[in-house]
Amino acid sequence: MSDAPVHIAIRHLTKRFGAVTAVRDVSLQIARGSFTTLLGPSGCGKTTILRTLAGFYEADAGDIFFDERRMNDVPSHHRHAAMVFQDYALFPHMTVFENVAYGLKVGGVRGDALRQRVGRVLADLGLAGLGDRMPGMISGGQQQRVALARALVMEPEILLLDEPLSNLDAKLRVTVRAELRQIQRRVGITTVYVTHDQEEALAISDRIAVMHQGEVVQYGTPWEIYYTPQRVFVADFVGTANLLRGRIHEVEAQRFTLELAGRKIRVESPGKGLRPGEEAVLNIRPEAIEIGSIPPADPGPNVLEGVIRTHTFVGQWVRYWVDVSLGPEAAPHEFVVDVPDPRERGILEGRVFLRLDPRKIHHLQGA
Amino acid sequence: MRVRQMKRLLREPLLLATIIGIFVALGLFVIYPVLRVLLYPGLRDFLSFPANDRYVTATLHTFVIVILSTASATTVGFLFAYTFTRTTVPWKGLFRSIAILPLFSPPFMIAFSYILMFGRNGLVTYTLLGARYNIIGWHGLWLSQTIAFFPIAALVMEGVLQSIAPSLEYAARNLGASGWRLFRTVVFPLARPGVAGAALLVAIYVLADFGNPVMIAGHYTVLPTEAWARISGWGDVTGAAVLSSVLLIPAFGLFLAQRYWVGRRQYTTITGKVVLLSLPPTPWYVRWPLFAFCALVSFLILSVFVGLLAGAFSRGWGFDYTPTLKHWQDVLANGRALIHSVVFAAVAATVSSLLAILSSYLVSRKAFPGRGLLDFVAILPAALPGVVFGIGYSLAFNAPPLDLYGTATIIILSMIFWNVPMGYQTGIGRLKQIAPSLGEAASNLGAGSLKTFWDVELPLLKSSLVSAFVVSFIRAVTTLSVIVFLVTNRNVVATFTILNLANDGYRGAAAALTTALLILTCIVLAVSRLLFGRNVELFRI
Ligand SMILES: Nc1ncnc2c1ncn2[C@@H]1O[C@H](COP(=O)(O)OP(=O)(O)O)[C@@H](O)[C@H]1O
Ligand SMILES: [Mg+2]
Repeated sequence: MSDAPVHIAIRHLTKRFGAVTAVRDVSLQIARGSFTTLLGPSGCGKTTILRTLAGFYEADAGDIFFDERRMNDVPSHHRHAAMVFQDYALFPHMTVFENVAYGLKVGGVRGDALRQRVGRVLADLGLAGLGDRMPGMISGGQQQRVALARALVMEPEILLLDEPLSNLDAKLRVTVRAELRQIQRRVGITTVYVTHDQEEALAISDRIAVMHQGEVVQYGTPWEIYYTPQRVFVADFVGTANLLRGRIHEVEAQRFTLELAGRKIRVESPGKGLRPGEEAVLNIRPEAIEIGSIPPADPGPNVLEGVIRTHTFVGQWVRYWVDVSLGPEAAPHEFVVDVPDPRERGILEGRVFLRLDPRKIHHLQGA
Repeated sequence: MRVRQMKRLLREPLLLATIIGIFVALGLFVIYPVLRVLLYPGLRDFLSFPANDRYVTATLHTFVIVILSTASATTVGFLFAYTFTRTTVPWKGLFRSIAILPLFSPPFMIAFSYILMFGRNGLVTYTLLGARYNIIGWHGLWLSQTIAFFPIAALVMEGVLQSIAPSLEYAARNLGASGWRLFRTVVFPLARPGVAGAALLVAIYVLADFGNPVMIAGHYTVLPTEAWARISGWGDVTGAAVLSSVLLIPAFGLFLAQRYWVGRRQYTTITGKVVLLSLPPTPWYVRWPLFAFCALVSFLILSVFVGLLAGAFSRGWGFDYTPTLKHWQDVLANGRALIHSVVFAAVAATVSSLLAILSSYLVSRKAFPGRGLLDFVAILPAALPGVVFGIGYSLAFNAPPLDLYGTATIIILSMIFWNVPMGYQTGIGRLKQIAPSLGEAASNLGAGSLKTFWDVELPLLKSSLVSAFVVSFIRAVTTLSVIVFLVTNRNVVATFTILNLANDGYRGAAAALTTALLILTCIVLAVSRLLFGRNVELFRI
């Protein structure tokens, strides 16, 4: 994937609305045929980037390139970057067929060719037979597909999707996103996808650009984003984070330790660039913590004792909130621990022991 | 910013050409005529204004009648709106239907009919009551304008009052407020911005009114009629231009106040949802006075139509009421004027509503240099009294390169551009309700700006387009003030003929011709309703 040539290049893009800087100096290279997601909380500038790519907004600074061609001054109707809108934007006065056929008609496709192409896309998306309905007469999921069909029928090189699933209910969202991914793979279309749902982003993307206040804070594969977040914001926004703020104690070639209220947390990964005495933040994911009601046989440095405050059972796993007292003065530190398949052991209560796997602790830059 | 917008526009030459075309059209047919009016007289002509007794008198009269008629029309309008929205007065639905009738009638019709009904030979005053009452003068004008313009105030305030949730009233009652106290402390304060907005709007109409004063004011001259008298009596174009220019000052001030001061605030007040709680019964000592009041006003409105019909079919007004069809021969004799009226108005309304809707689309959906200016100029004719518009056209287009004197074109053009604000405002309002993403989706699929407008926005704006057409048509077919300076024998329209007939004492013929004009207007309304269904939004004010 990373070998594929760059298809979309965003260079130092800045977009302001009055006093608000919606996008600040963003640069991204998007590979041909890849599925790239812009992920971030509401208001962080995702839509603004997407709409700038589509040509609905003009960049205040910076450039957009599609295949080396500078697009800044190309009007939206000449960009060939099909967009699926969050509200679908189906033309309410046209039938499903006419909606899907619209772009082709504008492009001069007529007669049999038109009917065939539209019919094929409708069939591909399970919309055969709905062609004569008006958009108001079909379900939300079907409307979403019509919006997608209307974009795909153009056989565009670039597909832009702005939270296309946000109006569907939870179950449907999961199915449709799998379908979407399948279609994208099959057609091999370069896709830029916007969502604020981290689970969706992880599930669907080749690459994720995590955004925060108009900037891209990390750009990487879902794996990198989840397991090696570079900032506290990313660790916290994608998945659940257990943050440990302390001071670096020792640094060796393949491991280092962090001092946390007098305790030593051992981390088995290269502490490159770390110096003893400096402040640092570590993160461990809830599923990387072992929990038990009896002390482990080898009480290593990463075993902590705590009390379960509460839990929640969601079927495939159970989540505990555990208060660990780190010292007499310090307020108890809360850990979130996930235990998969809780059926065997039942729900734990009261005093517990946590073991933080030293191989699964990750150091975060920039607190 | 500007540079980038221009760069983009250059890539859509058709859009650019359209925008330039609209600017040129509005510049040539709105701005230029106004400038001609303002620049035609010399400075000396303006400076001698205070020395001219007739001018000063007309100015004072205008001032007085604007205050009187605005106050009374706003009051009547408020009472009607209050009755419709917040009381359980019997027959209020009927009163409401009657109250909007003046909006469909030629502006001079009310005054004309009141002369027939309440004048020296009036059907009511003389024939029924035996009194020789002279309605000609300021009091007749005051009555006519009150009846003519209170519906505008009523409609505006109806919207405002509707937005005050009855739950508020219930809450106030719950706290012990009732009756007068409730009205004074809750309802009226909440409605106050609406009242101010309505009053300003009515004042704009009263100030510009030409039809009523020319019929009924007699020697009580106001600025528009004095301007007309200058030209028709003395051929004094300079004097007319001076008077028009002076008239523009308050007209423009009222317009700015209405649009940028009250208009804004009103907009936020009206957005509230209409909550359907049934109204508490109105106490009898409020209900029956309001009923009597509404009945009286309704009678005054209906008497307009009674007077007109009676006049159209009576042999000799005031002394011989035998039915006759002889006035309808005069109608046939003036068939050309009637046909002109309808054809000119239909052509003008078609062009005007399309132009207005296209402009509203460009302003609300496109970025281009001069967008704010276009918005302003598209609204501007609403601030221009008809006489200013008419005199402007007669001054601007009477010599080459654009010599349109006496042509149908000049009448049609004046009707087109005078009515642009009607459709424009309707379009802007409707476009606020249409998601911009629809147009963006079309653009995203490869449609240029104008194709997007044609394929997506225009079909969704159909109901606005139709109501713009209907309103423009009614205004065009009934206008007197704009065309009075432009007609000749060749391009004469019915309203002008009616004015002449009435002035020359042919009241039966004038009544018959007015009736015929009304019938034609109703036919157009009925047809547009048949064609486009009930959702035609009329008189969005
Ligand atoms: N058309 C606009 N006018 C003014 N401000 C806007 C506009 N669009 C977006 N913004 C502002 O820009 C910021 C980013 O918005 P957006 O890109 O829509 O965020 P997201 O899609 O990530 O939720 C927000 O603060 C938003 O209020
Ligand atoms: Mg968004």
